[in-house]
Amino acid sequence: MMGPPELDDGDARAVLSAALATGGEFAEIYAENRVGRSLQFDDGKVEDLTSGFDRGAGIRVVQGRRTGYAYTNLLTREALVEAAAVAAAGITGSGRVQPADLRVVAPAVTHPAAKDPRSADRPDLVDIVAGADEAARGVDGAVRQVTVSYADALQGILLVNSEGHRSTENRVRTRLVVQAVAVRDDVIQMGFEGPGGSVGLELLDAHPPDQVGRRAAEQAVTMLDSIPAPSGEFSVVLAAGSGGVIFHEACGHGMEADIVAKEASVYRGRQGERIGTPLVTGVDDATVPGGWGSVGFDDEGTPAQRTVLFSEGVCTDYMTDRLRAAELGIPRTGNGRRQSYAHLPMARMTNTFILPGTDDPDGIVAGVDRGIFCKALGGGQVDPASGDFVFGMTEAYLIEGGRITRPIRGANLVGDGPTAISRIEALGNDFEMRQGVCGKEGQGVPAGLGTPTLLISRITVGGTEA
Amino acid sequence: MSTELLEVLDRIVGRAGAGEGVEAYGVDETETSVSVYGGEVESLSSARTRGVGIRVVDGGRIGYAYAADTSEAALGDALDEARANAAVGTPDEANVLPGGGALPDMPELYDPAFAEATTEEKIDLALRLEAAARAGDKIKGIDAARYGDGERTAAIASTTGVRGAYRRADAFVMVEALAEADGATTSAYGLDVRRTPAALDVDAAAAEAAQRAARLLGGRKPASARIPVILDPFATASLLGVMAGGLVAEAVQKGRSLFADKVGERLGGDHLTLVDDGRLLDGLAAAPWDGEGVPTGRTALIDAGVLARFLHNTHSAVKDGVASTGNASRSGFKSPPGVSPSNLFLAPGPDGPEALLARAGTAFYCQQIMGVHSGANPVTGDVSVAAAGLMVRDGEFAESVREASVAGTIPGMLAGMVAIGSDLRFLPMGGGMGGVTLLVEGMTLSGA
Repeated sequence: MMGPPELDDGDARAVLSAALATGGEFAEIYAENRVGRSLQFDDGKVEDLTSGFDRGAGIRVVQGRRTGYAYTNLLTREALVEAAAVAAAGITGSGRVQPADLRVVAPAVTHPAAKDPRSADRPDLVDIVAGADEAARGVDGAVRQVTVSYADALQGILLVNSEGHRSTENRVRTRLVVQAVAVRDDVIQMGFEGPGGSVGLELLDAHPPDQVGRRAAEQAVTMLDSIPAPSGEFSVVLAAGSGGVIFHEACGHGMEADIVAKEASVYRGRQGERIGTPLVTGVDDATVPGGWGSVGFDDEGTPAQRTVLFSEGVCTDYMTDRLRAAELGIPRTGNGRRQSYAHLPMARMTNTFILPGTDDPDGIVAGVDRGIFCKALGGGQVDPASGDFVFGMTEAYLIEGGRITRPIRGANLVGDGPTAISRIEALGNDFEMRQGVCGKEGQGVPAGLGTPTLLISRITVGGTEA
Repeated sequence: MSTELLEVLDRIVGRAGAGEGVEAYGVDETETSVSVYGGEVESLSSARTRGVGIRVVDGGRIGYAYAADTSEAALGDALDEARANAAVGTPDEANVLPGGGALPDMPELYDPAFAEATTEEKIDLALRLEAAARAGDKIKGIDAARYGDGERTAAIASTTGVRGAYRRADAFVMVEALAEADGATTSAYGLDVRRTPAALDVDAAAAEAAQRAARLLGGRKPASARIPVILDPFATASLLGVMAGGLVAEAVQKGRSLFADKVGERLGGDHLTLVDDGRLLDGLAAAPWDGEGVPTGRTALIDAGVLARFLHNTHSAVKDGVASTGNASRSGFKSPPGVSPSNLFLAPGPDGPEALLARAGTAFYCQQIMGVHSGANPVTGDVSVAAAGLMVRDGEFAESVREASVAGTIPGMLAGMVAIGSDLRFLPMGGGMGGVTLLVEGMTLSGA
């Protein structure tokens, strides 16, 4: 059950032939095995330990701008040929393309686990989460609730297409998440810490469970002293890592080629134009070693690469999958991703981040007379058509006279992507990545997010104090 | 199909050891989805998925495992995995499988006419949807126009005698229209969900998207003010979804709900009644039984302004010494049952949206909210979300507003819900939330 599904060249070509039978010009088999474990530890108890395996194959046929797709979780030659016929039924072409001879393509980068997650058995996993729980509870008597979850997933992918590409890839992802709730009088606050990567158990060497637990609890306890956030326009300093979600949502999504092609992006037609300040160089990079969004190939067999989205503030390259690259006449960037065999690939981000600058992070704060220092943002949302975004600040403080003072709660950052990067006026020489699950058209994929400490000179803060 | 799946589940349950509780939950579904753009089909996707999830309860310990494979061998392996997972579990007396017996069916959830629609007819619906949306006033394009449907059989069997299967089918169309004026673009959704493709109203869905996108054009940041807010049905449904997080008993028991210890307290006026009804056929989450085989029912959470009760699955119900409300939820066969609302809605009032606008006089009509999952917190009760919409002056729509923020608290909003519209409609947010126009006082609108 481990590793990619097996399918010999003869069977693969039979499936591809069936897929091309109605005149398609391109056909592809994406087959995967996936095993996963997830452990929920809540209130000091093992609440749920789930394990399982999923497997299946998606057959895609393309003719012009039309795509036929069918998937099945039976992986016999017969079932795959039948699925190929269903996918082909959506296509009517005059082409007589035959599948090319298959050649094995090896990935240029891989992200193997140094420590196989499976070397930890069930009691070991319980020890890991219990350690995080204990450390979180030890932070302060106000810590009332702690939830710890551990998850690992091994994914084996086989990708074969009618152009003769045959590749396999094994991916591993491991993540530890701690959520803490602190209560004092009538005030309830939450803290969150959730490191993860395309790594195995070495994740826990870099992020020991007790540290992860303590950090989540400290955030919740700190925020107990918070005062309601002010509203209005402020200078906002985003701590290293915390701004990544804004760059992802408000700049990244609009640079995805499908959104550009549909004229739904605020960045459409603006390549070569300076949108951000010259400090801003932002990239999407699937080759980051062990990154949460890292891959060897994307989910249509294009090698992982680094794509520059904004170079010194100038809008540069869009992120593409096969179809949008062809439609827009631009290179494939290895951003064709999908949640699973049950989903069509589309242009998606991998690890998206702003490169560090040269400023001292403390100096950036010291330069702000009155503003907000945001250490952690929660979820966000963006309308790519306008670039408008909103993000909740889960850990934030006032800056008064160049010093970080009182924590504030209940505040949002509201703005739009182009304006926000045009007001980035300082970039720290530090850098941190965070991990998220990016949702688009109902598909969730792991996405890495990163920034150095950065200053947005003016942005709307929606607080509860008018 | 359902008999065959039930027999597979029976065989797993038959392998239970003495004193061991085993529950098998199986899903068999087919889906079709058509996406069009520029008058052409972009993608046509169809699929069939099957899978089984197994829950083992032994000595109060619980374990779960699943397999996307219904072969005897794969399910035997999954049963062994579930047992091994249970072995490291923490004993909890509330870890029990619900009792019962043969479960009811709800044949209305499957209209035989569903199967009569051809692929060509489904494609035609999507193409007509797009064309109608593009024809809207000030519409420059669309982001997505989609037809989708699904037919799903769910079955369950357990050592406690629970046994049943039901089938449901739904079809929907959804379009996001883009409007443009003076170089600025706005967007909005329109949708329709029915039991059969033939019943879908594509023109209404297209008109809804086009009209809603166009009326946001020319939006500016508003001046900060404390004025009444009128939530439109989409915004209400989104906010209900978040509020619901605090109304499930599991959240209350774990200290993650602002509603803990408030049962019996008055939260709003007599006209405020919040209901969860899993049997309501108009609701998108209608089902005869829940994710662990407990028959669904109607639960008034807030009854005439007073907090009455919370939503339960078997685990939370045993903990509280009450009966399950039939709200065990499953996101598929890969996860064990949680607790969540089914069809959750505010009991509609007598007045339509126009009457609510007239009553408010001056207000902010909130058409879109963004960031609801980070900005509305069922634990602390704080609500601060980004919003776009229109100002209401003299009871009529006036200038449009963007980059606004609406803030308050959940208790403040409940107390401030001075009028609930008559226009109840179920929307696919958080499963099946009821959308309704809602007049709320005591919130803060802020802009630049």
